[in-house]
Amino acid sequence: MISVRGVRKAFGSATVLDGIDLDVHSGEVVSILGSSGSGKSTLIRCMNGLEKLDGGRITIDDFDVSRPKELSEARKRSATVFQLFNLYPHMTAVQNIALAPVEVLKIPRKQAEADARTLLDSVGLSARADAFPAQLSGGQRQRVGICRALAMKPRYLLLDEITSALDPEMTSDVLAILAKLAHDGTTMVFVTHEIEFARTISSRIVFLDKGQLVVDLPTAEFFAADGGMAKPRIAQFLSKMRKD
Amino acid sequence: MRYTAFTSYDIVLLAQGLGVSLALFLATTIIGLFIGSLWAVIRFYRIPVLAQIVAVVAEVLKNSPVLVQLFLVFFGLPAFAKINVTPVEAAVITLSGNTAAFVYVIAVSAIESIGRDQIEAARVFGLSRWQILRRIIAPQAMAFAIGPLTGLLVNQLQVTSLISVIGVVDLTKIGNILNLRTLKPFIVWAVVGGLYYVMAKLVAFGGARLEKRLRAHTAWKGL
Repeated sequence: MISVRGVRKAFGSATVLDGIDLDVHSGEVVSILGSSGSGKSTLIRCMNGLEKLDGGRITIDDFDVSRPKELSEARKRSATVFQLFNLYPHMTAVQNIALAPVEVLKIPRKQAEADARTLLDSVGLSARADAFPAQLSGGQRQRVGICRALAMKPRYLLLDEITSALDPEMTSDVLAILAKLAHDGTTMVFVTHEIEFARTISSRIVFLDKGQLVVDLPTAEFFAADGGMAKPRIAQFLSKMRKD
Repeated sequence: MRYTAFTSYDIVLLAQGLGVSLALFLATTIIGLFIGSLWAVIRFYRIPVLAQIVAVVAEVLKNSPVLVQLFLVFFGLPAFAKINVTPVEAAVITLSGNTAAFVYVIAVSAIESIGRDQIEAARVFGLSRWQILRRIIAPQAMAFAIGPLTGLLVNQLQVTSLISVIGVVDLTKIGNILNLRTLKPFIVWAVVGGLYYVMAKLVAFGGARLEKRLRAHTAWKGL
């Protein structure tokens, strides 16, 4: 379980997260919605230990991400897919995927690369396995990013606006992969602006506004007129997103 | 009159001088690359005290004439530190230090040119600092640095000619000896200059080949 308790984070005088409480249980798909600057990406960065907390506590399967000795164990249990892919440009798709399994999990290189090719095949990229990131389209890069995360066999997948840099066609390719992962029972925390997709695959939806958690509701309840939609801020946000 | 004529042995002398220049260049390049890279890593990890010392030493070395550094090492070490050094030792110390200072500057900018997003990605997948340095930073930093490093090494090759002033019998010193004996400066210095030119072109050629290999990942081969 990912447990977030009273998390606070500020950059200078700007408070970005203000007392966030959240639990993500095994098998859940939790979508985090909110307008730009609401703290969604910062929350993901706090979960994977990239940002130091100013208060509160985050544990992944009881390993505290704020404690250096426990962070590596927490990171073995979760994997992140980034908005701008963050692939290593000097490595091929296969090498990008196999790097962490070889270096961190100590899987023999041949085995890790064979696993990487299997993963690439599963996302329709077997023909591009030996291409460098510069030779791939945005959608292909993001699919490599997803494979890189899956290669670590994580219990939790953290996805930070992974379709926001893609055009609609590429977005649908990537979302199809996520839908399959959700169907297979992969636990995911999904920061997104894709409202309809979040509605389709999420078990719960969390809404952040100005660093505060406004609601944390099962998906159906979130979109119900007497549920999340009853909150003026959420109704306003959803209305604006649908217009866009 | 016959004393001023060129002999076949002059070719042997030139080859010996060339060998000394090349050996010093290679030795000081290897030492300089190692020390300069090490200093850059110290700076990258912001190791307290050491990072500041390295910055000051590099600043002094790259902003003072090599000839002055050479004299300070050759005459200063025996006078002030009671350490006697041979001309070759003084040349190795000076040129290595000078090369290291410039390698440091190039390596620091090469490391800083690597996107933090890649380092963050490696961190969240659990790679250690050493693994990140070895697998992510070093290969890319080398690709970025190889162009400026080639330029630096071509320049450092020419700088080796200064060591003749403290008595190292390198290519320039041999040129000086032949010039004094034959009194044919235009021929002697044209030959010596030609040999330096060929060596410089070889260094540049090797650097360009290596750069092409290291930057293979930037080649666009179409979708």
